[in-house]
Amino acid sequence: MATTATISISSDIAPGFGGVTESMTLTQAGNLVDIDSTSGFQIRKLSATDAIDLVTMANELVEPKDSVSAKIFIRNIGYKGVIDKSVGVTIGIKAEPIGLLYGGDWMMMPLTCIDADDITATPATDDTVVLEYVMFYEEA
Amino acid sequence: MATTTAAVTLTSDLLSDNMSVSASTTCMKAGTTADGLDQMEYGYVDLVTGDEYDLIANTPTATKASKLYLKNHSTDETYFIAITQNSQAIGRLYGGDWMFIPADFHDAAGDIAITANGGTNKICYALFHEGITLVAS
Repeated sequence: MATTATISISSDIAPGFGGVTESMTLTQAGNLVDIDSTSGFQIRKLSATDAIDLVTMANELVEPKDSVSAKIFIRNIGYKGVIDKSVGVTIGIKAEPIGLLYGGDWMMMPLTCIDADDITATPATDDTVVLEYVMFYEEA
Repeated sequence: MATTTAAVTLTSDLLSDNMSVSASTTCMKAGTTADGLDQMEYGYVDLVTGDEYDLIANTPTATKASKLYLKNHSTDETYFIAITQNSQAIGRLYGGDWMFIPADFHDAAGDIAITANGGTNKICYALFHEGITLVAS
């Protein structure tokens, strides 16, 4: 076993679209060796509209290698079983907003892991929301 | 309503016990719980090395929702595409890697740009979105 991720997308927007099902094994950059480090599975509860660092790269206990094949999975799981799909949390890198993760939504994104490229989270409202996330990376 | 669902299964043996996470979401229009994304683009392109290219030409407005799926179908694991948004480096997708993000095409400079490295990369992408109208020719 290794670290694997499988995505399945179905949609009836366009007639004839057959959907997408793809798997990947998370490997180190430029070879087929399994990725070797993880932040572990974590949660972060947010109750204000302030931007916070979800991941502060310089604070990782195992130093990530820069600009290779790191990835992060993030999911907005709402709070205490209540998931509001009409509001969300903007996920960003450094000062750049990547996108708004609505209640129940998930994302899988590559990362640079450069110290300055922290992963930020900015809730749209002060309603409590919980993000769960796990980062996979190469040890420097 | 149009329905687009995205599911993921993530497994890893890097921890002391195997980790397995499954998630599924229905992709909705911005600020609604009752209306799904209803527009999409789906493509497969060869990306040559050298220049940076905007992957998506159209730019939804900031108040709209979008989801972007992108996979590097290159079979050579040394090939990769570097991805940036508004000049901010996001990361790299090596041959076989995919990503799925809530794309924020918040302004004209917010398009996601990609650059091929190693050789000609084969890219498959799907953008699920709302609210785009064609520009008169």
